[in-house]
Amino acid sequence: MPWHLFVANLPYLLVGAFPQGPLGGAALTLVLASTSAVASAVLGLALGVALALAGPIVRVPLLLSIGFFRAIPVLMLIFWTYFLLPTIFHVDVPGLAAVVCALSLIGGAYLAHSVHAGIRAVGDAQWQAGLSLGFTRFDALRYVVLPQALRIMAPSFVNQWVTLVKDTSLAYIVGVGELSFVATQVNNRLMIYPIPVFVTVGFLYLVLCTALDRIATHWLGRTRRAASPRTVLAPAAGD
Amino acid sequence: MMNDWLAPKYLLWLWQGFEVTLALSLSAGVAATAGGLVLALLADARARFARRAVDAYVVAFRNTPLLVQLLFWYFGAATLLPDAATQWLNAAHVVHIGPLALRWPSFEFVAGWVGLTCYTAAFVAEEFRAGIAGVAANQRLAAFALGLTPRDAFRYVVLPQAVRISLPPLFGQSMNLVKNSSLTMAIGLAELSYASRQVETETFKTFEAFGVATVLYVAAIAVIEAISLVVAHRRGRSLARR
Repeated sequence: MPWHLFVANLPYLLVGAFPQGPLGGAALTLVLASTSAVASAVLGLALGVALALAGPIVRVPLLLSIGFFRAIPVLMLIFWTYFLLPTIFHVDVPGLAAVVCALSLIGGAYLAHSVHAGIRAVGDAQWQAGLSLGFTRFDALRYVVLPQALRIMAPSFVNQWVTLVKDTSLAYIVGVGELSFVATQVNNRLMIYPIPVFVTVGFLYLVLCTALDRIATHWLGRTRRAASPRTVLAPAAGD
Repeated sequence: MMNDWLAPKYLLWLWQGFEVTLALSLSAGVAATAGGLVLALLADARARFARRAVDAYVVAFRNTPLLVQLLFWYFGAATLLPDAATQWLNAAHVVHIGPLALRWPSFEFVAGWVGLTCYTAAFVAEEFRAGIAGVAANQRLAAFALGLTPRDAFRYVVLPQAVRISLPPLFGQSMNLVKNSSLTMAIGLAELSYASRQVETETFKTFEAFGVATVLYVAAIAVIEAISLVVAHRRGRSLARR
């Protein structure tokens, strides 16, 4: 690809038509990913805690609905939110909201199981210790169990966020101008350079995902090291 | 009430889309499992170059979206092929085997198959690697002590145990594969998601069109889940017998 063509289109890939028009490209991908990351983390935490605390009557419908969201393709859920919500509620759902909604629901459903597993891995003894200190069930969860559980489930959060960044590309299907969508626009405009265009875009995603993975893992590793003296002392206390 | 439901014609469209989804998932699943195993074996090789290459492959294919990879294969890789090959791929071919007539799939199908296979193979390779790493080092040493060559030790001692360890996550990957196959609608392959979208545009019966497609996806995932449970159950029994 001639160098000047590439340079001319790079800003469009990165921020879309931004100063003059709406935000797009890689910047919009970041916005989509971070919004859904926060929403899915909140949803996953709430559902995971609910799974851990729920009795059998609540647990079964909860497991079934989580299982449903884990079983359907993200694309199908985007269809549901984008095409069905408007016909039911007679409101215009913008593509952005539909995609964030779908990604958060699916991300939340996946994280719910990790959160639940993390809470279970902390063990009953910690619950009982918290309760015997006079904590309520909720306080024991909040101050004793969850801080330890979060450390255990941190890697699955990182994995889920990387998946989220990749899944934002599905917004292409409903015409949201994120990185994949502008990539096809640039590809159509240049016509004869599909390989450089898609390799560049793939590389941008690669940088985003790898950076997210490395930074998050490094940061979590640091907090884990900082917390480790306490966990080293724990067995000694049991002697 | 009958008028409210989808006409048989549209149900047939959806079913044909489902068949394409199944065919694509199955063929890509077989190829990705083989490819992932080869990658995992290369990653276990002594040559540093092979290990580096596998690492690079896994990072590149896992950390980029499948959609971009599919667009690359469909729009990009096609331009690398010589003209004759492109024409051959785009034309219809029929192979007659006895009473069976096998049609060569469309170019969209081939591009989708290549994309899904390359993407899934990276994940499968990681599962196999984890399985190989999960076999205790003593097992290999014990095999050496029995006089097995390194190759036989791997083939008869390490690999069977590694496959057993990586089987549950591999079923998870095959479920992902079925779900990921929906992305091939972006390159115009008429699979289930594409068909549901088409039915929706034609009939304006949004709920019915997406509902049928969703039920079919959930059913496919449930079947895989059931198979994995049966396999796990039988494996548990065969281990208990020893």
